Amino acid sequence: MDYTNLRRQIISMKKSLFDQGYLDEQFNQLEELQDDSSPNFVEEVVALFFKDSSRLLTNIEQALEKYPQDFYRLDSLVHQFKGSGSSIGALRMKNECSMFKAHCNDRNLEGCRRSLQKMKREHATLKQKLETYFHLLRQVGPPERAVNSWK
Amino acid sequence: MASRNQGSAPRALVVEDIKVDCVILMRMLHKLNCKATAVENGKKAVDLFVEGKSFDIVLLDKDMPIMSGPEAVAKIRAMGATEVKIVGVSADFGAQEAFMQAGADVFVPKPVKFETLKAMLEVVISKNNMSG
Repeated sequence: MDYTNLRRQIISMKKSLFDQGYLDEQFNQLEELQDDSSPNFVEEVVALFFKDSSRLLTNIEQALEKYPQDFYRLDSLVHQFKGSGSSIGALRMKNECSMFKAHCNDRNLEGCRRSLQKMKREHATLKQKLETYFHLLRQVGPPERAVNSWK
Repeated sequence: MASRNQGSAPRALVVEDIKVDCVILMRMLHKLNCKATAVENGKKAVDLFVEGKSFDIVLLDKDMPIMSGPEAVAKIRAMGATEVKIVGVSADFGAQEAFMQAGADVFVPKPVKFETLKAMLEVVISKNNMSG
């Protein structure tokens, strides 16, 4: 296996994720918390995020379709989503959540619906990109068991 | 009454209902050689103090089910736990006033930086070592 080439791909991919605004400095903070005692920490935290956030997105979608809309509850759900997204460095998702919250504040239902679609797209895109990133990391890292709980 | 913790690993309590945030904080505290406990709402945090448990530092989120962070802070302080360092943590900048009015020592915006937590713990350890 060409580890040099793999490592170059990993560095390039991570740089791209930052340059395109998918991730911010908080992701680096997570990587700094990883060590031999917790060698898969970042992947495990990210897996936990995608598991919880998928459920939150469903709850947000259901709350949007209720009538009358409870904008307070919607804001609370998106606040949670934004918070945990910020914790893993998911910059684009965090920004889209801010847009959603602004629409909630304005009680703009159509704005909320549009924002939700963008949040779902950003969520799916980031999940796919990080899945690829961790797959590459596993190929060069120690022979650890892959985390598949977020699929 | 809370006892001083001299020379031992700092005892931390994390009060956070969002699992991702809780896992990250616990990992940070582990790396800072703390003995850390986590609960998912303010009432469980208060219950620990009622049971006589003591901590050197408590980190609380603001919005949690059953009992919020500021409400838990007010109850912990009302119980006479004045020595413990209480840190309000929230992505909502408006939470600072609520936490400080309730009796928190400091407010830190989310996401918490490792270096920020490390600096706070150094103050706690230094304070513990000076007591006696």
